[in-house]
Amino acid sequence: MHSRSGQSSYRDRTQEFLTIAERLKKSFSSVPNAPSSSAGSRLEGQKTAVSIQSEFNKRASKIGLGIHQTSQKLAKLAKLAKRTSVFDDPTVEIQELTAVIKQDINALNSAVIDLQLLCNSQNESGNISSDTTNHSTTVVDNLKNRLMSTTKDFKEVLTVRTENLKVHENRRQLFSSSASKDSTNPFIRQRPLVSRASSDSSAPPAPWANSSASSQPFPRKKKNGDPSTSTQPLLQQQQMVPVQDSYMQSRAEALHNVESTIHELSNIFTQLATMVSQQGELAIRIDENMDDTLANVEGAQGALLKYLNSISSNRWLMIKIFFVLMVFLMIFLFFVA
Amino acid sequence: MKITALLVLKCSGAGDSSSSGPAEAVVLANASDVSHFGYFQRSAAKEFILFVARTVAKRTPPGQRQSVQHEEYKVHSYNRNGLCALAFMDDHYPVRSAFSLLNTVLDDYQKTFGDSWRAVEADATQPWPYLNEALTKFQDPAEADKLLKIQRDLDETKIILHKTIDSVLARGEKLDSLVEKSSDLSAASQMFYKQAKKTNQCCAIL
Repeated sequence: MHSRSGQSSYRDRTQEFLTIAERLKKSFSSVPNAPSSSAGSRLEGQKTAVSIQSEFNKRASKIGLGIHQTSQKLAKLAKLAKRTSVFDDPTVEIQELTAVIKQDINALNSAVIDLQLLCNSQNESGNISSDTTNHSTTVVDNLKNRLMSTTKDFKEVLTVRTENLKVHENRRQLFSSSASKDSTNPFIRQRPLVSRASSDSSAPPAPWANSSASSQPFPRKKKNGDPSTSTQPLLQQQQMVPVQDSYMQSRAEALHNVESTIHELSNIFTQLATMVSQQGELAIRIDENMDDTLANVEGAQGALLKYLNSISSNRWLMIKIFFVLMVFLMIFLFFVA
Repeated sequence: MKITALLVLKCSGAGDSSSSGPAEAVVLANASDVSHFGYFQRSAAKEFILFVARTVAKRTPPGQRQSVQHEEYKVHSYNRNGLCALAFMDDHYPVRSAFSLLNTVLDDYQKTFGDSWRAVEADATQPWPYLNEALTKFQDPAEADKLLKIQRDLDETKIILHKTIDSVLARGEKLDSLVEKSSDLSAASQMFYKQAKKTNQCCAIL
């Protein structure tokens, strides 16, 4: 069964295929019986290919059906999430539905992955035409896309729900703020910290804690209110802390902070090492330049020394200079006088 | 960030479910610092601390930690198998350090006294010197909580490293300018050399 969807990238040509197959079958059966065994084996080969293919089709159709049902449940959840009001909060249903949808999505995800594996194994093992492989890959991609869009919708619904809860929480605080003033009451008891045993059980609901953290303190407040008012006339009020915090969690958080700080430190150290090595290269360049300069200056000094020697020791040069001077004097005197 | 009192009590029983059941909690060790009260209020404050400590210890179920806000103090209590440690501190003391402090106090108490505390029925009157030392030593939450100390050290190290990187960058700039100057110098010396050679060669004729 081929699933139809609005964004499908293939056409359904099953009927044409079936007519062609029947025609071919007729032409096969009209051939004499000598090659019938080979035809029979070929038919069987085709049948096994067809059976593998139909296995693939069955699973693909199951997955498609699952995705459709999940998206229906998601639509119901979205309606519930939008409908919540301050006092009539269908929290339990929403939580159940969210849990069910999450399970479905996980199962569908693994099923799609299995299907893809099956498709790949078929492609390798065989005598199947390229059209079939094409078809299978298209079907798998289609299912994956639909599953991804369903997951995205689910996430959006969850965000809508958290925002709604936040709005309700604010409104609740606005309306009930007079009952929670604690600055004047001397015997106020804060929400007790969770013990180790119950902190384990609070970890699994953590993914949903974001969406239902503020709905949890409501029943907890009620539960803690009764024993305290019956046994402790002195401790009169209780105060809700909206953020879920416990000793173990804060320790875990502190450890995470320490770990991340250490990572940052290691980063900083590696950067420092890189920079210093780069600057080492600069220092080498400076050293070479200075060596060149030294060589040049020494050479120049040698040349000048030679020059000095040649000048100071060359008598012939002195006589020549003197001669040139005399010539100039003669010309000068000649012109002036 | 101040610790006002540290106490160790023995509290039997379940805690907050019945009012007439278990007996009152028995004080096993007490160390308090009431010096910031006026002289005449000190004994009253001590009594008050004892009373609140007994109440809170009774209300703490075994194996649980609790924090109770009382006027401007926070009382942290940790009940471990009937032995309960309490700490009175102000609001700025981090909660986690408080509980690790209580842990250490309980461990030390059990090391020092073993299980003899279970037989005690009346309030213990001798002071326990360890508790007094602890009161003074742990005024700084970093002492009590190793994690906090490590975090603080790491932050200091990070600051130092940032400064180091800044100075390395400045060094890089200086090295850059040095490279330029040295290359200019090298070029100038080359010109000098050529010039010297030229003068040497050209005026040899003359």
